Amino acid sequence: MAYKPQFGPGSTVVADNRRKYMNPAYKLEKMRDLSDEDIVLLMGHRAPGAAYPTAHPPLAEQQEPDCPVRKMVTPTDGAKAGDRVRYIQFTDSMFFAPTHPYLRSYLESYRFRGIDPGTLSGRQIVECRERDLEKYAKELVNTELFDSARTGIRGATVHGHSLRLDENGMMFDMLQRFVLDKKANMVKYVKNQIGEPLDKEVKAGKPQDEKWLKAHTTIYHSLGGVAWRDDAEGLEWVQRIHALRTKYGFMPEE
Amino acid sequence: MTYAEYPQVRIVSERLMNPETTERLMNLIIAVGGIRRVVLNGPRLPAVIPYGPARGIENPHVMRRTIRIGGQEVELQVHVGNVLLELENEEYIPKIKAACDEAFTTMSYSFKEGRFMKTEPTIVDFAKYGPDADKAIVGITDPGSRSGPIIIQGTK
Repeated sequence: MAYKPQFGPGSTVVADNRRKYMNPAYKLEKMRDLSDEDIVLLMGHRAPGAAYPTAHPPLAEQQEPDCPVRKMVTPTDGAKAGDRVRYIQFTDSMFFAPTHPYLRSYLESYRFRGIDPGTLSGRQIVECRERDLEKYAKELVNTELFDSARTGIRGATVHGHSLRLDENGMMFDMLQRFVLDKKANMVKYVKNQIGEPLDKEVKAGKPQDEKWLKAHTTIYHSLGGVAWRDDAEGLEWVQRIHALRTKYGFMPEE
Repeated sequence: MTYAEYPQVRIVSERLMNPETTERLMNLIIAVGGIRRVVLNGPRLPAVIPYGPARGIENPHVMRRTIRIGGQEVELQVHVGNVLLELENEEYIPKIKAACDEAFTTMSYSFKEGRFMKTEPTIVDFAKYGPDADKAIVGITDPGSRSGPIIIQGTK
């Protein structure tokens, strides 16, 4: 029988969302329409329209060693062209952001190729070849994995994920890369991910309401959301793994 | 430094306050009177990006504004989330609470009495700021700062 991944335990909407986002067969709902140029501007690695700088000659032009693994693995477009490795980094608010750092790394590993995710408590960075990155970043920003108020594209000075929101419902950002246009109910990026001012604003869509966020979040939250202790199945599995690990430490003889 | 006889309260809003809310709240509190010292606390909003690849670039931020408290201009350097107050005596506490009820119309807040400012300088304070540091502000902000405290004229 072929292996069928289950992605994770849990009987709540939060667990369901986690499974959905990790499952590459699930098509993520499209929420906004940022163009390629917008994504390039937000990341700030190159000017829109500029050629991709390279780290090495294209694979077709350089002598590849006779390696069975290289024959087996198809290079991504970026690797084929010899692109530089670049990054995008996200901060996800604990107040019901659609996804969170650990899950980002999991879902990217399931969905994307040739990536190097780095997971921290409040932020998650993913590195890969530049043209692959732009493709992946577009999917991460344009779909339900992103909310313009509770998720931030922040390459540096990421502080804010565990702070209270401000009165407008926006996550704290010392550099205020994105501002809420109250009249249009639209979040606009005015700086790129490291805090350099943009030549033109990038519209990141309207902030979602609490109801939408709570239905799409992957974060257990005992204040106002789904508490982890209420997820009987998830809890049972974590306790089971904990018990087995502990017993294994004592080398049980069965 | 603080003295045991002066009561202190801490006001924590449910969300980080916009400058207009901070201004309204502080003016209502100041109108009560009996306040010795105030600390507006929260995450810092520097005027210039202090570190990282964009270091040295100007940092415009809509939450960093100059507000007017009790007729005195106060330039906010933080996104205010907590307010610490030291009062002259306990009889002002219910009035301050009433002012908070009036100010916080769109969100909840917590109001606590306790000790929130240092009572004695620590050995680290001594090492950092020396023996001549201003004891009125050691423990609530950097006594070495060039800006110093803002003095709001009382009604007395």
